[in-house]
Amino acid sequence: MRRAYKYAVLAAMIVSTLALALAVSAGGLGYALPFPAVRNLAYWYLKTTYNPFMPKFTVSAPEAVTAIVWDYRGLDTLFETSVFFLAIIASMALMRGIDIRVPESMNLSKYGMSAIVKTVTKITVAIILAASASIALHGQLTPGGGFQGGATAAVAPLVIIVIFSLYFAVGSGIRKKSMLTLRTLGLLGIGVTSFAVIVAGLILGKAAYVFQNQPKEAAPIGLPSHILGVPMGGTLLLFNIFEFLAVAAGFTIVFLLLSVPEESVRKVLEGGEEHD
Amino acid sequence: MISPETLVFGVLAALGLISMVATFMAVMERDLLKAVLFSAVQSTAYAFMFYILMAPDILLVYVPVAVGLYPAVILFLIKKTERFEGGEEE
Repeated sequence: MRRAYKYAVLAAMIVSTLALALAVSAGGLGYALPFPAVRNLAYWYLKTTYNPFMPKFTVSAPEAVTAIVWDYRGLDTLFETSVFFLAIIASMALMRGIDIRVPESMNLSKYGMSAIVKTVTKITVAIILAASASIALHGQLTPGGGFQGGATAAVAPLVIIVIFSLYFAVGSGIRKKSMLTLRTLGLLGIGVTSFAVIVAGLILGKAAYVFQNQPKEAAPIGLPSHILGVPMGGTLLLFNIFEFLAVAAGFTIVFLLLSVPEESVRKVLEGGEEHD
Repeated sequence: MISPETLVFGVLAALGLISMVATFMAVMERDLLKAVLFSAVQSTAYAFMFYILMAPDILLVYVPVAVGLYPAVILFLIKKTERFEGGEEE
């Protein structure tokens, strides 16, 4: 009875989805394009993202999405990054007092999966890190960017923890403190980059904005748009690198804390605040 | 003769259906480990849909998060709690 009910619900969902898809593709919502105002905005982004003939308006990065994320609406992304940072800080505060330490007498090679899996993982981790670096560093040229690259890179420590054991990861330098240092460095870098142009403007005696990238009409100063003839998008490259560090390290901290064996830290997790 | 556009929309529809069925199975499944796998199937279908809809930026963040990090977090949580969802019947 229960099983029949389940399949009836599933069949009804499939039929209604198909009916909805048919209605939409038959023009149920109309074939009209979006509102002209929205289209003008998209037109403006596409026209100015990489346009050497409009030097006062261009971001000089061929990748429109990264340009929008870190230049046109860069402040939004700055606050998104701060929210993510606060979430990591909150999870660390929840699990405060946990010290992941490798026992002295532990033979690390006995832990984890078999030698075949470990060998394959060594190769895979190298590939994951190379791919993530390429995603992050080419963020201003091709699809991708700091967050995408950082999320990809965070898979590498996760795989190491699962295949080689947590203690191997901690022993080989993936520690909570070092990851937090990397993460703070990334956020600091983002902050420094957003003030870089205005500080340069103060030194050179020219007007500049916070979060400025390329020279603008009233602020004729900006970061280099091309390095060795390759479009670098000024601040976009720096933002991508620092965001890559921050995201990868942040996810790694969470996985380190989640993978601690619960028996060893139960006292820390259960115990409340100490009272005198 | 099927035009390329129809083919693309047909593939999109098929992927959408796969993702919907997988989501339904994930919600109904009592074994949470299997539910995570169904959820990963749904994520894979979505990843292909993002690619077909020409959103490579979303795809690049969706693949590691939805296929790598998110199932890993859920698996850690299942390991810390219980594998089977408790129920009042059966």
